[in-house]
Amino acid sequence: MTDKDFNYPPLDERKLGLLFNAAQQEAPEMGAEFLTRLQSQAFEAMPQEPKMAFAPEKLSLFERISDVFAQFGGWPAVACLATAGILGVVIGISPPDVVLDVTTAYFQTESLSELAGLGDETEIYWEDT
Amino acid sequence: MALGISQNQRDAELLARFSKGDRAAALALTSRLAPVVFAQAFRMLGDRAEAEDVTQESLLRLWKAAPGWDATRAKITTWLYRVTSNLCIDCLRKSNRNSGDEVPEVADETPGIDLKLQATARAQALQHALQTLPDRQRQAMILRHIEDLSNPEISDIMEISVEAVESLVSRGKRALASTLAPQKKALGLEDD
Repeated sequence: MTDKDFNYPPLDERKLGLLFNAAQQEAPEMGAEFLTRLQSQAFEAMPQEPKMAFAPEKLSLFERISDVFAQFGGWPAVACLATAGILGVVIGISPPDVVLDVTTAYFQTESLSELAGLGDETEIYWEDT
Repeated sequence: MALGISQNQRDAELLARFSKGDRAAALALTSRLAPVVFAQAFRMLGDRAEAEDVTQESLLRLWKAAPGWDATRAKITTWLYRVTSNLCIDCLRKSNRNSGDEVPEVADETPGIDLKLQATARAQALQHALQTLPDRQRQAMILRHIEDLSNPEISDIMEISVEAVESLVSRGKRALASTLAPQKKALGLEDD
C-alpha cells in the first residue's frame, strides 16, 4: 500500500452504487459472429426427433361427426332419416285429411269391445268427445 | 441481469422443446442466455477470448443436460450461473492469475466530460478493480451487485451458506471502496 492511499477515504455506499449501476449499463457485448457460432453449436447438440411416417391428425368436431355418419351412409342418408323423422312428427301433430280418412276407416267400429276383440258381453263404448 | 421466475418457466418450456428438436427454441434460448453467461464470464475473467470459451462450454453443458432436465429441481439460470462460475474459477486457477495487481489509474477528469464516456469510464474502473479481488469475493460481488441476485440465490449458485455470501460481499465492498478511492475525482464521484 502506498502513502497516497492513506489520503483517500474509502468510497461510500452511494458512490459504489453509482459504479455498479454504470457496470450494469455497460454490459460487455458479444459479437454477432460469436452468437451465430453459439446458435450453430446449439443446432448440432440438439436431439433429433424421428419423423413419423403417418402423423396422427387432429380432427375437428365436424370431421369427427362426419366419420360417425359415414357408418350410416354419409350425410345424404342422415339427411333423409332426419327429414323422415320430422315429417312423422308433423303428421302426428297435424295429420292431413287423407290420413284421417284412412285411419278412421281402418279403425272404424261401433264399440270398444269389438276393437278389443272381447265380444258383445263387455259393454264398452266410445264416448263422444 | 437476473431473470424472474416466470422467465425461468419460459426457459424450462423452451428447453423441453429444444429436447424435441425445435430449432426455434434453440435460437430463442441461445439469444436469451448467451449474453447473460458471457457478461458474467467476462466480468470474472477480464478477458474476452477466455469469456467466449467459458460461454461456449457452459451452453454446451446445458444442451447436454436438456433431455434429462428436471424443471422442478432447479432454475436454468441458477444452474447456468453455477456452471459458469465454476468454469471461470477453473480458468483462473489454470492461468495462475494473481489478484491484487495494481489498478490502472483512469485519466484525470476532463472538463465537460460526456456522461456516456463517464459511465464507460466508471464501468471500466470497476471492472479493473474487480480483478484485484480474490476469486470468490469477485464472484459474490458480480452476482450480488451487477447481476442483482439475492443472497439465497448466490448461496445456491456458489454452494455456500448465506452467511458466507454476506461475508464475501461485505469484504468485497470494503476492498473496492478502498481500491477505487484514489479515482474518485476522475470518475466524477466528488461529494455534492
